[in-house]
Order: sequence, then C-alpha cells, then structure tokens
Amino acid sequence: MIRLESVSKVYKGDVVALKNASAEIQRGEFVFLVGPSGSGKSTFIRLLNREEVADEGRLTVAGKDVGEMSSWRVPYLRRQIGYIFQDYKLLPKKTVYENVAFGLEVIGRPRQVIRTQVPAILELVGLSRKADRLPDELSGGEQQRVSIARAFVNRPLILLADEPTGNLDPATSVGIMRLLDRINRSGTTVVMATHDRSIVDTMRRRVIELDRGVIRRDESQGVYE
Amino acid sequence: MLSRLWYYVRETFVSLWRNLSLTVAAILTVAISLSLVGASLLIREGADRATAQFQEGVEFIVFMRADASADQDGAIRDVLDNSPAILGYTYVDKAAAYTEFQELFSDKPELVESVTAEVMPPSYRIVPANPDSGNVAEIARQFGEQPGVKEVATATDAIRQIEDFSNRVSQALLVAAVVLVGVSALLILNTVFTAIGARRQEIEVMKLVGATNWFIRIPFMLEGTIHGLIGAALAVPALFVVDDQVLAYFQESDAVPLFRGFAVPEGFVWDTSIWLLAIGGVVGMIGSAVAVTRYMDV
Ligand SMILES: Nc1ncnc2c1ncn2[C@@H]1O[C@H](COP(=O)(O)OP(=O)(O)O)[C@@H](O)[C@H]1O
Ligand SMILES: [Mg+2]
Repeated sequence: MIRLESVSKVYKGDVVALKNASAEIQRGEFVFLVGPSGSGKSTFIRLLNREEVADEGRLTVAGKDVGEMSSWRVPYLRRQIGYIFQDYKLLPKKTVYENVAFGLEVIGRPRQVIRTQVPAILELVGLSRKADRLPDELSGGEQQRVSIARAFVNRPLILLADEPTGNLDPATSVGIMRLLDRINRSGTTVVMATHDRSIVDTMRRRVIELDRGVIRRDESQGVYE
Repeated sequence: MLSRLWYYVRETFVSLWRNLSLTVAAILTVAISLSLVGASLLIREGADRATAQFQEGVEFIVFMRADASADQDGAIRDVLDNSPAILGYTYVDKAAAYTEFQELFSDKPELVESVTAEVMPPSYRIVPANPDSGNVAEIARQFGEQPGVKEVATATDAIRQIEDFSNRVSQALLVAAVVLVGVSALLILNTVFTAIGARRQEIEVMKLVGATNWFIRIPFMLEGTIHGLIGAALAVPALFVVDDQVLAYFQESDAVPLFRGFAVPEGFVWDTSIWLLAIGGVVGMIGSAVAVTRYMDV
C-alpha cells in the first residue's frame, strides 16, 4: 500500500527532515511513527499526501509514484487518503453535519450520497445527536471525532493521523484510539504519528521510530521505546 | 452536476456579500470606466456619421443629376482624371449612394422607403491637391457650372470643427477609460484576493480532502466575472443617456447645418452595450484569474 525507497527530504536551510528512509506498509496495517519533536514524523506523513515532495528516492502510494505524479492527479490521490490533525482543522462557522458534508461536497459527490453517508458516519463516530452543533460547542475529543468523520466519510484506503491525541486528555485519547482501531479493522491502513507513550505501549502495533530523520527502529507489535 | 452548479452559485454569492464594500467599489469603477468607453465610442460614431461623406481628405462632392447623360458624366471624369488640381476621387454610383442613404437613415424607415436607387444622384468625392478653403471653393464653383451637375457640396469649416472636437473628446475619454479599466482590474484582483484570504481555512480543507484546483478556483473567478458584468450592466443605461442627451445636443446645435438629424441608431447603442458587457466580463475574469493564480497556489 505504501512503499518508501531511500527517501530523503531536505528543507530550505539544509534542514534534513528525512534521510534515506525505506519502509513498506501493507494494506490494512496500523503503524505508529514515534520519535522526539523534529525527528521527521510530520514530514513522513506530508510526503505520503504530496504536501511535500521528496528530494531523493521513490515513494509509492496505492501503486502510484507520488513524486512523479503530475499535479492535477494529486487531488485524486488525496481522495484515497484521509488526514487528521492535532488541531482538527474544522471550519468554525459550519455545523458538525456541514463540516463532514463539506468533505464530500467539494469532491463533487451527489447530494443523495451526502445525505446517506454523513448520518452514517456520524453514527459511527457517535455524534449523531450533535449534528447541528458548531465546533466550539464541542469538547476536544468530540471535535477530533468530527475530523475523523470528515476524513473517513469518503472511505479512504489510508488514514493519516498527525498526533491526533496531542491536545486530548488520556481518557479521551483512549476513545479516539478505539475509533481509529475500529476504522483500521474495517481494512483501512492507518499511519499515526504520536508522542504518546502509553497509547503505543497499550496498542502493541507496528512502530517505526525516527531519530533526526533516520529510521532507527521498525518492529511489529512494538513499544514506544 | 446540478448540485455542483448550486455549490458554485452559493459560494460565489456568499463571498460577494461578505466582501460588500470592496465589491461595490469594484463594480462602480467598472461601471464608470465602461461608461466612458461607451461614450467615447458613441461620440466618435455620431461624428463619423455626421461627416461620413467628407472623410480621408475629401473636400468637396460633385453630385450629378440622376438623369445626367453618359457624355456629361464622361466630361466630368475627364477633368478629374487630367487636372493637376485634383489629387484623387472616388465615384459613388446610384446603388452605393442608396446603400449609404439606407445606413444613414436606418432610424427612419419611412424616409428610406420613399426613395429608390434610381432617384439617388451619383457623385464624385474629390480630394483636391490643395485643401485650402479658398482654392476648394474656386474649383467647386467651376464644377458647379458643368452640364449634368446637380450640386456641389464643400466641407464646411463647421464639419471640420465637429470632426476635430469629436476626435479630441473621444480620445480624452478613451484614455481616461483605459486607465480606469486598469484600475477596475486591480480592484477586482484585490477584492478576489481578500475573498481568498477570508476563506483560507476552507481552501486548506478543500485541498486536504482532494478538491480539484478548478473546483476551488471557479467560485472566485465567477466572483470577479460578476463584478465586471454588473459594472458593465450599470454602464448600459449611462450609454443611452449619452445617446439621448449629448448626441441630441449636437444634432440641435447649428454647428452641422447640413447634416442635422443624423443620429446614432439604437442598434449601434445596443451593439456597443454588448461590447461593454463582454469587456466587463473579460476584465473581471482576468483580474480574478490573476488573483487566483498569484495568491492561491493551487
Ligand atoms: N516547512 C518546513 N520548512 C523548513 N523546515 C521544516 C519544515 N517543516 C519541518 N521542518 C524541519 O524539519 C525537521 C522535521 O520536522 P517534522 O517533520 O515536523 O518533525 P516532527 O513532526 O517529528 O516534529 C525539523 O527540524 C523541522 O524544524
Ligand atoms: Mg510533527
């Protein structure tokens, strides 16, 4: 599903964010990216989504060479990839329902599809009763659920999560992890960057550890350290 | 497809509304600049029509009698061909004269219907070697005495004045208009830029979930195009006011005694209006396209 072959990324000012990284992630895997701040986790994720382009090496996602892909194809790549963030990136003036529907509307999905898919996904994330709330009327955990709903409503092959529990308390984080686990069990490949030791140690999934842009460890059913 | 259309329309108007003060400024600037473009075109057309027969150096016209004989006609042509005082001439036969008459009086169909090509006088439009008015008057007088000649008309000073005046006015208007059209394009660019800024978050999410670049751009480009079109639509009534008031004033002044009554036909005003709408739309589209490509890297 995802394949990195000696991928390097250097930002302006000679900042090496990823150095000679190779890895292969199978369909349906759940992978934690761990490592200290600045070790290149976010860069790893942004390369998969073509928010950044690798300077060296080859990166394929769902069989497509992401680096070589012409820019007009990028939106179609992104439709296969859900993406969630530490800060949720919800639109403050839209309701929960509208935020989720927006994700389908702007990729041209017909209205009947939106009318059936959005309530279904809100049910899945447990927010059916809060569909008409605005984001700032929700708790952090609920906001993250909305963002997961938006990322997953189009049934992507891959879900990227960049420190999704970074702003949440431990109890709430557990709820979010349950949801991501459930999504993963439905066949979606999940790649999640995190700082959260206890989550990684509890879940016992594959762990890729980055250290100053270098993959230092890659083990299945790993722990944080 | 329908839901997409609805999306574009909704997003465009929400954005127009949010940005109301800049939107109004952009629209009014377009309206003013296009009114000037239109006025310039109308004044030029009006003057051209009023002086249609005296252009490109033609200083006088020899009208033959409709029933002039071939010999009489040949004698005139002989003089024109051989006299060193004549630089050149064009011959307007009955059919051409009739066509011209139809065009000039297209607003007055009953007048056009009252004549036929057969009764139109053929004429020679003559460019003299020396356009000095004393000289022209003397040559014209000589032609007037030839057999078969019905009448000789000379370009009066008044006509030259009208031409001169209309050239100056329409050029000045056009220069001002071009500058203002540029200003409108910049204002539209700025308005669309502001609209893009106001929706940065939405654009970010759209890119994230895989909206295509065109899908993101289209509402902004529509917004700019609508500024241009509304501005142009406001300029259209202004055009009719110019047609009514200003051109009517010229018609009634004593400056053009020969050609009083020549107006710009309504058809021309409508054609000009369509041009203004096209210019408005294009200016708006270009302004917003520049904003979209420069400030929104999608
Ligand atoms: N857009 C950028 N421009 C320049 N340097 C960047 C940029 N993004 C990240 N970096 C640098 O690249 C390195 C890796 O950053 P990042 O991938 O964000 O790591 P992490 O997510 O593990 O904290 C850091 O040194 C960071 O400062
Ligand atoms: Mg990061």
